[in-house]
Amino acid sequence: MSKNLEAYYGLPKVVEFCKKCVISNQRPSSTIEFKNEKGEHKRVINFNVDGICSACVYHDEKETGIDWNHRDSQLRTLLNKFRSNDGSYDVIVPGSGGKDSAFTAHILKYKYGMNPLTVTWAPHLYTQIGWQNMQEWMHTGGLDNILYTPNGILHKEMTKNAFHNLLHPFQPFIVGQRIIGPAMAKKFGVKLVMYGENQAEYGNSIEENTNPIMDMDFFSSDDALEMKFGGVSMQEYIDSGRYTKDDFAPYIPPNKEDLINDGVEVHYLGYYLKWDPQECYYYSVDNTGFQANPVRTEGTYSKYSSIDDKIDPFHYLTTLVKFGIGRCTYDAAQEVRNDKITREEACYLVEKYDTEFPDIYFKEFLEYISTTVDDFWEVINHHRSPHIWNYVDGEWRLRHTASGTGTDD
Amino acid sequence: MNKARVIARVDVKNEFVIKGIHLEGLRKVGNPNQMACHYYAEGIDEIIFMDAVAAYYDRNSLSTLIQDACENVFIPITVGGGIRTINDIKTALKSGADKVAINTKAVEEPEFIHNASKVFGSQCIVSSIEAKNIGEDEWEVYTHNGREPTGLDVIEWVKRIEILGAGEILLTSIDKEGTKKGFDIKLYEMVTDNTSLPVIASGGMGKSDDAVKVLENSNVDAIAIASVLHYRMESVCDIKKALRENFIKVRL
Amino acid sequence: MRIAIVDYDVGNVRSILSAFENQGSDAFLTNKKEEILSADGLVLPGVGAFSHGMENLISFCLVDMIKEYVLLEKPFLGICLGMQMLFDESEEFGGAKGLGLIPGKVIKLPTKDVLNEKLPHVSWNELNSNSVRWDQTILEGVTDGSDVYFVHSFIAQPENPSHVLSTTEYSGYHFCSSIKKGNIYGCQYHPEKSGDVGLNIIKNFVRICQQ
Repeated sequence: MSKNLEAYYGLPKVVEFCKKCVISNQRPSSTIEFKNEKGEHKRVINFNVDGICSACVYHDEKETGIDWNHRDSQLRTLLNKFRSNDGSYDVIVPGSGGKDSAFTAHILKYKYGMNPLTVTWAPHLYTQIGWQNMQEWMHTGGLDNILYTPNGILHKEMTKNAFHNLLHPFQPFIVGQRIIGPAMAKKFGVKLVMYGENQAEYGNSIEENTNPIMDMDFFSSDDALEMKFGGVSMQEYIDSGRYTKDDFAPYIPPNKEDLINDGVEVHYLGYYLKWDPQECYYYSVDNTGFQANPVRTEGTYSKYSSIDDKIDPFHYLTTLVKFGIGRCTYDAAQEVRNDKITREEACYLVEKYDTEFPDIYFKEFLEYISTTVDDFWEVINHHRSPHIWNYVDGEWRLRHTASGTGTDD
Repeated sequence: MNKARVIARVDVKNEFVIKGIHLEGLRKVGNPNQMACHYYAEGIDEIIFMDAVAAYYDRNSLSTLIQDACENVFIPITVGGGIRTINDIKTALKSGADKVAINTKAVEEPEFIHNASKVFGSQCIVSSIEAKNIGEDEWEVYTHNGREPTGLDVIEWVKRIEILGAGEILLTSIDKEGTKKGFDIKLYEMVTDNTSLPVIASGGMGKSDDAVKVLENSNVDAIAIASVLHYRMESVCDIKKALRENFIKVRL
Repeated sequence: MRIAIVDYDVGNVRSILSAFENQGSDAFLTNKKEEILSADGLVLPGVGAFSHGMENLISFCLVDMIKEYVLLEKPFLGICLGMQMLFDESEEFGGAKGLGLIPGKVIKLPTKDVLNEKLPHVSWNELNSNSVRWDQTILEGVTDGSDVYFVHSFIAQPENPSHVLSTTEYSGYHFCSSIKKGNIYGCQYHPEKSGDVGLNIIKNFVRICQQ
């Protein structure tokens, strides 16, 4: 039936769910964000002939096919190459003080003897718990940090455009967050940038998981003026008369050639250490003063993941609208893979929480993007792909769910 | 003054014992029956089995576990997590539990505590309270395994629960739980000042000295401990020895 | 050799069955006359309210059966409420009649008017002999001062001091924690929940049944 329905964004017309976890085949892979424009077709997660997603395949590989002792040796060799002996910083760890970056920075310093500088591209609006965890990262975790907060006026306008044009309010943030690592490396003369886990853990191509070094394309651009923020090019922002090129300095990545010539390398720790997000939570509570969200995070059942930005819930809302995948699905799929919950339990949780509307910061979000409630819903509904959503009895419902309770299941 | 009771708290998910922090996280730490037998052999005074995820899945599934435990462990057993109906209590007691611990249902429907204690006797009914510190000397009651705030003040709730007929209070500090950094002693001081029911302090024990401090500085009757035992940081013997050395009476 | 446990829908019988099994005895639940009278030992469990327990005994027609069994002078063990109901009456709820097999009554544990004294008495507490001899009883081999598990608000007061087998102290008040009248035994505490000490007591009862 769904074969006759249009699928936006070039998504697969038939909605399928992984047989092992609960992710669907509509999940997009990572994009080069500053080239992200309206109407672009999405590359999606791969499902193999047995109906299993590449993240699950990769996870099985992690369990049985990788020699983690060898990977640890590789890590030590890499770190030996960059370790400073004059007290200067020798690794940049980008992050917000959430469990992943807290773990990464702390373990690099206290187990592997590096001298990290953590760098934070500021969340749009820090939550109280997010700010507290970030501070504890320094005070209890014993680390140095630079918090970089970009010009709020521009950032808000970009975010607004991103919401309206792409239904992807996080797009400008992601641009900045990806650039800050290498950018700070250049400023401080540090050659190594270490992220936590690779997004490939969640369904990018398998090859990306076997390559520890992030593709330089991800964060460098050859012609800055062509960069798009919220689907609007830098040139257009400047042409409006409200901004100059100076305002875009934080968003202009370092030159690719310069980075290569300087010998900057960007790695992810998840290649070298067997990654388990929940274990990062335990580690960060024990070592960096991290605390879980005092209440259940909206749209999911957990309290420990992505809790520092008030705008965060709206990112997940938009993935729900565009791909039928809400926050709970992401959390549950990860926990199934890491053997915390069964697929059956995951289905139950997704049914219960995935479509929960994030009320707590809704008003603040609307203010941030200067949008009325009515306009908000118009944009949301405009982006619902017919092959995912069905309007029944006055409400929008998913055609397909992992539990098989969709209108077309 | 009664002898202080040292109680092992065993959080269970399916066939595993799990241990979280701040009532979050599903790290597996062992087999429930094995661990119960082990703690019993070491001289633990009671065991509390909590179905750690009952709230998420609208189920409770510890009957088989209790039946097995009963065959080998001859000390009082309390069961909690997802107890929602009179029938749930009946099933738990029939399986071999001596007491049931009730949290979410009691907050949603306080009458349930009253009815349950009338049917089964208040000695079977433990009010399980999850407390989060929200200001100086102020704690809020949470439900659903530390996820949903209720707006209820812990002290007010404790007073109500006593009137409703609960026989005992299991009081867990969400802030301290799983951190191994010591109990929230102020919480227990305030609550024991406001109730005549026996109170079990739960959450935060990392070393014997924590147990000594909470028993010396508040009127709690018992401590429920998890991380310190599951991670083998101290043994039941070590803990009881430390208590005795500090003139706190315990069962030998 | 069979030990019958009275089934009258009151109390956690599973643990009692497990404990007896653990001590090598073939114990079973029943409320049938022939099975009770022909058993080598009879156990009356129970928790909760005296009046509720008596009501259930009456509705299951067990009162006469138990009295008839006791006349046969075979071993009998009452646990917690099961011990309390052996007496003449309880002061609970304005007065309720018991089985009247042991002279005395059941009263509420007195507590001082201090918040520290909590009811119910939920605690491990010590059995004291006060020089009463324990050999050939269910407490044979139990060390004086051993801890057993109590959970109750009421206690039994035997009229005849020779029926007191052990006492226990609670907030300076000494109450009767075990009784013996001929072959009738009672434990205010729960031997099936009292670890090794409790299992020892059960073992002793089993041995007494075997004689």
